[in-house]
Amino acid sequence: MVGLKEFFERNPNVRVVIFAGKGGLGKTTSSAALSYYMAKQGKRVLCFSTDPQASLSDIFERDIYGKGVIEIAPNLHVVEIDADKKIAEYQEEIRRKIKDMYKIDEIPKEIDEYISSAAAEPAMYESATYDAMADLVAKEEYDLYVFDMPPFGHGVRMVAMAEILGKWVEKITEARKMAKEYEEIAATLRGGAVSEDMVLQELQDINNKIGLFTKILTDRTRTAFFMVIIPEKMAILDTERAVKMFKELNMELSGIIVNQVYPPDLLKQQGVSEFIVNKIKMQSQYLDEIKRKFGKYLVGLLPMYSQEPKGLEMLSKVAEDLMNSPLNI
Amino acid sequence: MVNLGLKKEEKKENKGGVSRALKDMMYGMALHGQVSALLRTRMYIEHLFMLMTLGDMLGFPLLPPYYSLRLLPYAVPNIKSWKARMFREHDFTDIITQ
Repeated sequence: MVGLKEFFERNPNVRVVIFAGKGGLGKTTSSAALSYYMAKQGKRVLCFSTDPQASLSDIFERDIYGKGVIEIAPNLHVVEIDADKKIAEYQEEIRRKIKDMYKIDEIPKEIDEYISSAAAEPAMYESATYDAMADLVAKEEYDLYVFDMPPFGHGVRMVAMAEILGKWVEKITEARKMAKEYEEIAATLRGGAVSEDMVLQELQDINNKIGLFTKILTDRTRTAFFMVIIPEKMAILDTERAVKMFKELNMELSGIIVNQVYPPDLLKQQGVSEFIVNKIKMQSQYLDEIKRKFGKYLVGLLPMYSQEPKGLEMLSKVAEDLMNSPLNI
Repeated sequence: MVNLGLKKEEKKENKGGVSRALKDMMYGMALHGQVSALLRTRMYIEHLFMLMTLGDMLGFPLLPPYYSLRLLPYAVPNIKSWKARMFREHDFTDIITQ
């Protein structure tokens, strides 16, 4: 085990890194640490959190929630998306567009209600997040994008959603083209001109964005998916499910990082409490199981720290450990 | 798609009022019906398209409306006629007359 440094040396074209896994096991910490390290190496990095609990703000000890892209340190940019706010802004944008297009001061009630109720749709939150991610990646302003995913669906659900959205856009684009053909024939017969179909343009715009992002996400040489777990039974079960889920989507997990590992050297110290001894024993048992089951995926081990990984100084220590694993099993 | 090969018939003629009137008459006799039919079909497709994108406005939750909202502004003028057609009562005479 040599840490993530070797992974990035072997995969130099990786531009998107996604950390997935259960909540509270160290995804945000790993995202922040990797971003910090890569920025120090001179890469322009964007660390993106989709977590509504504002964990990046905690780690960087600065309120960045819903404030857009902020440069925390040289080359290190962070953004913590406030999806609710983004949805509200999006709705306002649609309302404004309707008012401008039809030169009206007030939007018809039923349309206004539709716009309002759309925000309550459960998938709206995910779509808004996904759209924000796709927007950022499509702009290609950074060398590396690090995404801290919310603790559900192992981050892969986003990819599945992209596929469904892509197909939907494709289908409705077909229907739209058909409508256009009819209009063109009618216009030819009448001797008039066909007006530009703005809807078709919007659809192509959406399709390009989703298509580009999906292409990057499903390209193994450009996107890396890491799972952060801890040496406990439930994490092992969760990982088994995740590996299966990845396979079902024709994707592959790039690596597993085991976090919160008690350094076995503690056992050599005098007067170690029984609590620690038991904890280390339990962990070593599960670490064996992890090695046996997911050995080929193991890319890093992070120790249990005596203090919370907060602030840039502590983050630089975590980054060092993440890149060059200090522990071995 | 059906190209009726009728393009030739409407050559540009700008020889004053008589030919203009003739052209309009020809159009009315030969083509107007077809153009109307085409436009009606186009409207049906438009309505179908609206059902696909804004279906949840009628209670069909077809897909996350995130991107539907982007298309909504363009559909605004058609929403009324669309809803009226969708909610209209249908019976067997509709099928016969179609």
